[in-house]
Amino acid sequence: MTEWISLALIAVGAFFFLAGSTGVLRFPDVYTRLHALTKADNLGLGFVVLGLALRADSVVVVLKMLLIWALVIVAGATASHLVAEAARTSNVAPWRKRS
Amino acid sequence: MRRHTRPLERAVVFAVVWWVVAEADPEGWVFGIPFVGLATVASLKLTPTRSWRIRPAGALRYAWYFVHQSVMGGIDVALRAIKPSMPIDPMIFRYRMRLVPEHARVLFADTVSLLPGTLSTGFEGDSMTLHVLDRELPVEQSLRDVERRVADLFGLTLSAEGGNLLACENITGGECR
Repeated sequence: MTEWISLALIAVGAFFFLAGSTGVLRFPDVYTRLHALTKADNLGLGFVVLGLALRADSVVVVLKMLLIWALVIVAGATASHLVAEAARTSNVAPWRKRS
Repeated sequence: MRRHTRPLERAVVFAVVWWVVAEADPEGWVFGIPFVGLATVASLKLTPTRSWRIRPAGALRYAWYFVHQSVMGGIDVALRAIKPSMPIDPMIFRYRMRLVPEHARVLFADTVSLLPGTLSTGFEGDSMTLHVLDRELPVEQSLRDVERRVADLFGLTLSAEGGNLLACENITGGECR
């Protein structure tokens, strides 16, 4: 049972990584691509960590994965802020929907 | 405001991190103890004092809100990316922050980037500029909500001024106009 729940969680995680990568390819400019990268990957990694936590041999291994997740979240949010700020201060115009 | 150095508190945090990284292997302490010491020294050099505290109850409320919102944020952007019609209508906004201390503003900006459809793109004085994936999203309400929760986490009061959102029609010289 645990095995299947774990597999399902990892599959959901993989779906978000796939959707995030699809966004990076399909979205039109640097700003919209950053949305896809930070948010989808953060959630995808969360699901993968939950799935792997069910298979872990000890609590400390679970804590280690949670620590990695937390560091990825902080690094991802900060890096995307910096990339977006660099784009904005160098006048990279955001893509606008034609109306 | 009281300022804290607390070298022992920092050393304990680094020791716990090491214990987790080494997966509780007792032999790891041969390397762990010197590096916990070095990390503590580096931390004291880089941020000698801090004037902020985290309220445990506020931290729990913030954590729950954060997890909930990042799930919504991930689902929202994933669906927009894979739908054949790709429903996005982006816009840059400027938000006048009601949070004053720098540490609170940094956490605010990082949180905003993980919320559904919003991405912080830098600070301009007391304002934060952000990119929004779909201008129809209730951005102002979400931002006011995040601010309130960050204030709750650090035990701060929000300034009476601000809390309003402006659309930027143009960004020249990195500034919103």
